[in-house]
Amino acid sequence: MSLQQLNSNQFEEIIYDNAEACLVMFSRKDCHVCKQVAPMLEEMKPQYEGKFGFYYVDVEEDKNLFQRFSLKGVPQVLFFNDGEYQGKLAGKVEEEAIEEKIAEVLGA
Amino acid sequence: MKRTALTPKLLVLGVDGMDPRITQKFLAEGKMPNLKKFIERGSAREDLKLLGAIPTITPPCWTTLATGAYPGTHGITCYWRQSPESLDAVVYNMDSRNCTAEQIWNITSEAGMKTLVWHWPGSSWPPTSHSENLSVVDGTQPGSVNMGVAQLDWEKVIVATPDITDVRYAPRVDKPAGVGCIITDLEDSLDADVDDEMMELWWGDTARQGGEIRTYVMDDEDTEVVIGSKVAYDIVNSPLKDATGWANAPEGAKEFTILTSGGVMRRPALILKNEAGEYDRVAIYKNKKAEEPIVTLVRDVMETGIIDDVTKKEVTKPACRSMKILELDPAGNKVRLWISNALDIANDQLWHPKTLFNEVIENVGVVPPVSLIGGEDAELVGEIFEPSWVKYNKWQADCMNYCIKEKGYEVVFSHLHNIDCAGHQLWHLGKTLAPWDHTDEKTYQGFIEKFYVQTDDYLGEFMHLLDEGWTVFLLSDHGLIVGENVPPIIGEYGGLNTKVMEELGYTVMKKDENGNSIREVDWEKTRAVQIRSNYIYINLKGRDKFGIVDPKDKYDLEEQIISDLYNYRDDRTGKRVIGICLRNKDAVLIGANGPECGDIFFSVEEGYNRLHGDSISTSEGYFETSVSPIFVAAGSGIKSGFTTERTIRQVDVAPSVSVLLGLRFPAQCEGAPIYQIFSEEV
Repeated sequence: MSLQQLNSNQFEEIIYDNAEACLVMFSRKDCHVCKQVAPMLEEMKPQYEGKFGFYYVDVEEDKNLFQRFSLKGVPQVLFFNDGEYQGKLAGKVEEEAIEEKIAEVLGA
Repeated sequence: MKRTALTPKLLVLGVDGMDPRITQKFLAEGKMPNLKKFIERGSAREDLKLLGAIPTITPPCWTTLATGAYPGTHGITCYWRQSPESLDAVVYNMDSRNCTAEQIWNITSEAGMKTLVWHWPGSSWPPTSHSENLSVVDGTQPGSVNMGVAQLDWEKVIVATPDITDVRYAPRVDKPAGVGCIITDLEDSLDADVDDEMMELWWGDTARQGGEIRTYVMDDEDTEVVIGSKVAYDIVNSPLKDATGWANAPEGAKEFTILTSGGVMRRPALILKNEAGEYDRVAIYKNKKAEEPIVTLVRDVMETGIIDDVTKKEVTKPACRSMKILELDPAGNKVRLWISNALDIANDQLWHPKTLFNEVIENVGVVPPVSLIGGEDAELVGEIFEPSWVKYNKWQADCMNYCIKEKGYEVVFSHLHNIDCAGHQLWHLGKTLAPWDHTDEKTYQGFIEKFYVQTDDYLGEFMHLLDEGWTVFLLSDHGLIVGENVPPIIGEYGGLNTKVMEELGYTVMKKDENGNSIREVDWEKTRAVQIRSNYIYINLKGRDKFGIVDPKDKYDLEEQIISDLYNYRDDRTGKRVIGICLRNKDAVLIGANGPECGDIFFSVEEGYNRLHGDSISTSEGYFETSVSPIFVAAGSGIKSGFTTERTIRQVDVAPSVSVLLGLRFPAQCEGAPIYQIFSEEV
């Protein structure tokens, strides 16, 4: 996957210390829906280069992040800006919904 | 009705759970100086007792105090109301629209007196009069103002050490006392549904709209004393390391991470060194770029009124929190911190008129959250639970004094929950019985004393009114006992009590493949159930959904049940545990009759009672406790330094208010004025 994977400490650094505007997909290797959402995000990523980051967390490798956000199931796409959680989109999410949410986060 | 008033102004100071018997112990020990002065200036019985209504449960008794009517008459007959649909379910009951008797505050306000009803958990909300003189604040739950509707986040303990490698969060961890707050096994809690909001379940919008609550009490593990003393809070673990990337971190500061809002909100924090080079403060920031912290905490001081954004269900709002350092290693190798739940600072849903909310918040301050954690963890009780109530008591006293002084209220009915709240978590630990023999009764008896001492301080906030023409009543709904024995599984107010009724063959539960009872009633075989604090319902054909008992057999079945209950022997002690049993028609003797009281009323015998509710008002417990409520009056219209031998009943309070203020009696009043204590003949 061309999205950068975050572990717990990288998550702290990028989301909070750097306060980057970004999304983080929480996914699992054997999840079918994740396999549909991930390529879409990879495709969208270049358009937002330098403006909005695209990352992912493998919930099996970093269970504590999955639990921290009280997530029920994957995939879930969480949005952040200025170190603040900005909401999430769950399940088989459409490109338009992601675009709208990014616009909202960047506009806020 | 024309009557000369004996006083122009009257304050009812209600203290939920305040027990005259143990009060006398602390008075004799000189620990309640304000109450001593108050008694000297006023009137009471020698034993300070009020004879409580039956059942000895919060909403019925507060409603009796407000109406002068017995529970059978006003219709509020337990904490919950029996579900009209199901014999095994209950529905919300702190709704004034369920009350079938007139509240005294309608009379005072409609007579032109500016009246405030402050957090009175018995038939006060929604307001019952259109009079513009009536103001009502909450009253939808007994806890604290706004607790049921404004809660946005739960309590947390944060532990940070250099050994912890990454930030971890575990919601609602049930933790045995004495075990460190280090998250070692995330697997256990990963799939568990967080038992999110007991507040919302019991008192939230759905409950208040009449949703059924189905709780089965089948064994000791289901009882309140066992559940209530468990400590459940969110745990956050964080690395503790040198501060990096901060806009404004002092030299030598170390950083750690706090998570709030169910984990989605993150606040960086620093431990700070003093001039001697010892770490002694914690500063919490919105983010590392912030110049100023949200709050700086020092050791041993609970800070409240800390405003920070909290996210719940994807909505972010400013909320009020309290915080305290539990432990801070001077060398900077460990910090433990408590963070309270968070209360939405703008929720005026339960304030009438709403303008009163803004005035109080602006002039007194936002509602401070109270802690609900402690239980068997003596450190949390001593450091957090008890002090959080001290903060709340002061805020409430300031609010009421503000309303009296600045807003011109002439009649105030108020309720404070500190003692009862603590009682439900701690009082049973005041005697070391086998199930909690890992605790020390002396420690918990000390906590009981602390809650009475803080109540005395609260009373002290109002003593000035006695010199300003006011009449003040100090009273309660019931006391709480320290149990002599582990209570039998009958008479728990929270729901359906199955064990004793199953043993006697009246309630039949469905069985699993091994023949063990499961949590489902077999209605085809169940002839009667015991639900709420004191009631038995026959499963009657034509009345109940799954009724099997023919109405012609009802009388004989009642007789048989009563006989069996009297003959029932506790399996731990071999003794009788049922106190009195009465058919509904006979329960008029104790005011527990009528359509909301089931077919049989019963009580649990003294010596086997739980905290309160299953007992009669005269029951006593270990450590000089009793279920009796208290009554003391002082000020205008009340004899000074007077002791009466009259039995004062809860139904007598409302008509006494009527006489003192020169007003008519409430329409369904069944009590009589306590004329013996009045300064003039009436």
